[in-house]
Amino acid sequence: MAISTSREGQTLIVKTEDRIDGANAREFQVDLEAAIDPNDRGLVLDLEQLSYVSSAGLRVILLTAKTLRKQNAKLAVCSLSDSVREVFEISGFDKIIPVHDNQAEAAAALAD
Amino acid sequence: MTQRACKILVVDDEPDLQPLMRQRMRRYVRRGLYTFVFAQNGVEALEMLQEQQDIDLVLSDINMPKMDGLTLLQQIPKVDPDIRSVIISAYGDMKNIRTAMNRGAFDFVTKPIDFDDLKVTIDRTLRNLTEWREALASRDKLVALQNELDVASKMQQSILPTELPGTDEYKVAASMQPARAIGGDFFDFVHLDGGRIGIAVADVSDKGVPAALFMMSSRTLLKGAAIGGTGPGEVLYEVNNLLEEENESAMFVTVLYAEYNPATGELSYANGGHNAPVIFHEDGSSTVLPLTDGVALGLMPGLDYRQETVKLSPSDTLVLYTDGVTEAMNTDFEEFGLERLRRMFVESMPGDAETINDAIFKAVADFAGDAPQSDDITCLTLCRTTTDA
Repeated sequence: MAISTSREGQTLIVKTEDRIDGANAREFQVDLEAAIDPNDRGLVLDLEQLSYVSSAGLRVILLTAKTLRKQNAKLAVCSLSDSVREVFEISGFDKIIPVHDNQAEAAAALAD
Repeated sequence: MTQRACKILVVDDEPDLQPLMRQRMRRYVRRGLYTFVFAQNGVEALEMLQEQQDIDLVLSDINMPKMDGLTLLQQIPKVDPDIRSVIISAYGDMKNIRTAMNRGAFDFVTKPIDFDDLKVTIDRTLRNLTEWREALASRDKLVALQNELDVASKMQQSILPTELPGTDEYKVAASMQPARAIGGDFFDFVHLDGGRIGIAVADVSDKGVPAALFMMSSRTLLKGAAIGGTGPGEVLYEVNNLLEEENESAMFVTVLYAEYNPATGELSYANGGHNAPVIFHEDGSSTVLPLTDGVALGLMPGLDYRQETVKLSPSDTLVLYTDGVTEAMNTDFEEFGLERLRRMFVESMPGDAETINDAIFKAVADFAGDAPQSDDITCLTLCRTTTDA
């Protein structure tokens, strides 16, 4: 799990890779929090290279959504691999966090 | 360095040393770095160590009447093993210096005393002592934390039912194997009216003490709602709202809650973000119970939980599990997966709940091999053992 970040206007784009599980969820949380700027209006989490996410990882995504809400910003995820998509579907996370097919769609949805 | 002045006991039978030491170290005494106390020999020194328990460092000559410095070195740890000793020896007296070091002296200085060097030696010794005390304090904290974890672990184990329900009409087996001392999985049973039973398997996000506490409240709320409830969908609806109320830390719990009627084989279930149960049939084929689009509990209030009803055929077997089963990894990072679970009994279907449940645990363990278990594994098996009337 390493993250890389870029920005398009006031939208932060974060890509992560490999796995997020109980062993590195805290690290993921710290990295994400550090990447968010108080002026960001949206965050797109690009999970294309992520092969596995555990419930501890889902929790960090949710905490991030809560943090963003406090600064009036929104979170969207995109480009889910099949196994990560399955975790989102089973846990019902796809019903509370917007899931998009690609970065462009996610960024456009956040800009609305 | 510690806040208070370090207390140094100087042991020497030379009467001149005391005024000399006070004179040469007066700056540091005035600054509150050191305080000095003096003894004439080993016996007196030991008495003072016993009376004044705040002495940090002993600076001792070797040759003294009554008790010499080398004997004193052996006695100091019996009073307090943390006290550091520095020996004052004649220049070039390697034999005694070696003996002193072997008996636990931290360092030595030689006569005539170079007070600048003594200051360096004292500070180095005291620094070591401070670090040692900090290490001890950390260790104590760790022990206290470990004790806390043990309590939480026992608490968690104690909430798992020890007596499983079962009659001539159905048999149940269930087990939870935690990944760490404290897991986030649990299962539970509730006896409902008309001989029906409520069955729950759940998985709390994250591990450790906070997860264990969240698990306790999830389990309590679930049990309460199940007893007073009007079906699985309503039960999850209620528990979700209650859990969400005070959930700042964004924990959540996935729950599969089902109500089974042994007389008819009817199974109503609602799924709150949990893995889909599997029904194994007598011929070894299997059916995965469709998801009911429920979201994990504790995330958002007011969510609806749809319930479904299926009917177990005679000799059907229902298996509920947590993702610790399907997401168990081997050393090549492959997952055990739902398909592997479904194919488990293609060859032959054991008719007995305990055999089936044990076989699933064993298959997961065999698959994982040397890969460490990263998540709790829970599996609950219910066999219908009657034929339809």
